[in-house]
Amino acid sequence: MPRLGLDVDQYLRTQVLPTVWCPGCGNGNTVEGLATAFARMDVDPTQVVVVGGIGCSGRTPFYVKTNAMHTTHGRALAYATGLKMAQPKLTVVVTMGDGDALAIGGNHFIHAARRNIDLTVILYNNGIYGMTGGQEAPTTPLGSRTTTSLTGSIERTFDTVEIALAAGATYVARTTTFDMQEIPLRIEEAITHPGFAVVEVLSQCPTYYGRLNQIGDTTDMLVWERDRTEGLPVKMANRQELLGELKTGVFRNEKSVEFTKAYSDLCARVGGSYGLS
Amino acid sequence: MASVERDQIRIRLAGKGGQGIMLGGAILAEAAMLDGLRVAETQEYGPEARLGATKADLIISNRQIAFPEVHKADFLLCLSRPAYLRYAKTVAEDGLMIAEKILREEMGDSPNVVYLPLRASALSLGNELYTNIIGLAALAAFSGAVTKESLENSVRSRVKAETVLANFAALDLGYKLAEEADSSRLVSAAASKLSR
Amino acid sequence: MSPTPGANKQRLVMGNEAVALGAIAGGCDFFAGYPITPATEILEEMGKMLPARGGVFLQMEDELSAIAAVIGAAWGGAVAMTATSGPGFSLMQENLGYASITQTPCVIVDAQRGGPSTGLPTLASQGDVMQARFGSHGDRPTLVITASSVNDCYESTALAFRMARKHRLPVVLLIDAVVAHMREPVELPPPPPPQKASYPKIEEDTPRFGDVPFVPFGHGPVTVVTGLSHQANGLAETQRGVHTEQMMRTTIQNILSDPEIRRSWVSAYQLDDAEIAIAAYGITARSAREAVDVLREDGIKAGLLDLKVLWPFPNQILRETADKVSMIVVPELNLGQIVLPLKAAVEGRAEVHSLNLADGTLLTPEDIAEFSAKQRKSTKEAANA
Repeated sequence: MPRLGLDVDQYLRTQVLPTVWCPGCGNGNTVEGLATAFARMDVDPTQVVVVGGIGCSGRTPFYVKTNAMHTTHGRALAYATGLKMAQPKLTVVVTMGDGDALAIGGNHFIHAARRNIDLTVILYNNGIYGMTGGQEAPTTPLGSRTTTSLTGSIERTFDTVEIALAAGATYVARTTTFDMQEIPLRIEEAITHPGFAVVEVLSQCPTYYGRLNQIGDTTDMLVWERDRTEGLPVKMANRQELLGELKTGVFRNEKSVEFTKAYSDLCARVGGSYGLS
Repeated sequence: MASVERDQIRIRLAGKGGQGIMLGGAILAEAAMLDGLRVAETQEYGPEARLGATKADLIISNRQIAFPEVHKADFLLCLSRPAYLRYAKTVAEDGLMIAEKILREEMGDSPNVVYLPLRASALSLGNELYTNIIGLAALAAFSGAVTKESLENSVRSRVKAETVLANFAALDLGYKLAEEADSSRLVSAAASKLSR
Repeated sequence: MSPTPGANKQRLVMGNEAVALGAIAGGCDFFAGYPITPATEILEEMGKMLPARGGVFLQMEDELSAIAAVIGAAWGGAVAMTATSGPGFSLMQENLGYASITQTPCVIVDAQRGGPSTGLPTLASQGDVMQARFGSHGDRPTLVITASSVNDCYESTALAFRMARKHRLPVVLLIDAVVAHMREPVELPPPPPPQKASYPKIEEDTPRFGDVPFVPFGHGPVTVVTGLSHQANGLAETQRGVHTEQMMRTTIQNILSDPEIRRSWVSAYQLDDAEIAIAAYGITARSAREAVDVLREDGIKAGLLDLKVLWPFPNQILRETADKVSMIVVPELNLGQIVLPLKAAVEGRAEVHSLNLADGTLLTPEDIAEFSAKQRKSTKEAANA
């Protein structure tokens, strides 16, 4: 286990636990993964800022014992961009949900990726709006039931990885809450990567997605998650048509000119010394 | 309603986008500043970077300037047909419009309009882009609003170094056109309505 | 011809350029924005100046991200600003509220243009007065400063930064298309050398929010910042927002009692013996000043109350003015905005007459003088009847 021999709890703000998340929610796995990555890297929490948006995932900054910025819906990456530019030495991790990152914040997602600014995005994708009670998201699998698509979603589904790749992210990975041991490894790679890095974590929302689509309890959902990412036969026969096969792993890991570096060079060209501010 | 003696010269430059109206306004304003006068220059333009109607208003005074726009112009430099149609009526009763000569055929003569071959003169210098500078010089000659020295210094600070001499030639041409056209109306800076 | 002494130190500067220079004078080292008429020159000027000073200039993907980046940058220790016009200012409203609840120092310039919607992009308006006060949902402390000359643009921007940093809030500078694009000779001090903002040392248990100094990330122990109602330590407090309400009340009081605000609130012209006060701000205050001269030529004792800080509204000053005059005329380039708090402040002590224009053109001195004379005449006639 990645946690073995590590003081993970030092990176958890235990005083505010329990979380606001439902029993069985996948977000806890991801937060555990993030804290584990921090422990593995032995980061100085005063030099890390976790920036969150709005929604279930947006609460992450409260539970991780580093600097925390819980911002507005969709705008976390824009806040993080200003923050990183103002103090480039800080490690800035941005936690967003699928609706947060790809619906209301879609524009900031593609432009942050385009700039290749050194931010790490952890995108919790549970395919539904949890905090507001189970509405359709741009990542909701086609045909799925949500409270705003009770007869099955007719909207085509966004693929986070494809968007991140197209927009220019230089590290792109996908994992799942089923693969708990992999989460901290991917996050560590992403944080270490000098550029815009995206880790999508497919996650379960048993309260809304699971219930509305009759997938079952948390365990059933984790198995479903495993099956849809490994292409194995899904447990529920009637789910076959609504579950596309999603690959996991690292899709891109390459170096390119990072934005704060490019900006520093620009300043030097006109006689300025970036980092003064 | 009383009219306050404002001790100021009100100038409007009007034309279309691309004719250098905005630059002309800045040059004239800076010349006034170099003469030690107070000045406020405002602009109005449309969404088009080229060919839309544009105007620059200048109030030049040796007292504090409150309202910065020109209501009735003492001097109007008019470079385009739409500007003529729109702003001819804003020339004060005892004001003067200096208009591009091409407009004469359509607009006809009137007592407070002086037509000058601004564009043709610019072309004689090799580039239509000097039209605004020639017009500014003529306006300076008729109004006495600014001195030629300050106008030259202002032009020097606002045009590309390699075009300074050509722009100075354009200034000379503008002063000459004004003199030839109607020397009786020329106002020297010293005799202008601004007490200095 | 004898040039004015010191005239050689003067420069011909555009209002927007003066805003940028005033920002630098106020310590600004971070700008994020998005192009929009008539504020674009501020963006361009900051783009020219900041990289050479080692500061940050960012052209963002929209105004939502511009203000968000500014707030993020402030928490990164930068002295940050953005500039926009009506459509962009509308987009910024939600995050302005975030800056308020998180007590983030920053400056937002709104060069007003004709609205609503895309409206009259190149023409002047004063239509965002109420939006600057009430545009973001919920209640919050606001400080909104105006400018009516190029020199004002410089001074007011620098003041906005001083106040933003002192009182920990987003400060709005409201100008308009004419002032933004107006050129006037000004004599400005050279820009200060680039200097990193410094912050006090804090301990783990030092309160981060409330009536305490602003300390950004990376300058001490970890800090939690949230747009949720929160406690002094930053942690969310969503059952009952006691601390957030207290913070807002305290900030409002601090602004109201700030000596610099009290000094800058209004500027009076010919008001001492006036029977008519014209209360105006921004570009309209310039028309009003000339209207005062016109009215006095006609033997009508008029005076100008130039409102330099719109919000918080100078209630007490208006009450005192109303006690001395018989009539207050309120010319605005909108359909009647600042006249509302003005009437509330005056409480019937003097007649209040609103003169409004919202077609993109300016109210001229003659418009204001004629309107004032007409109102005075009809009041006299009514009194005699």
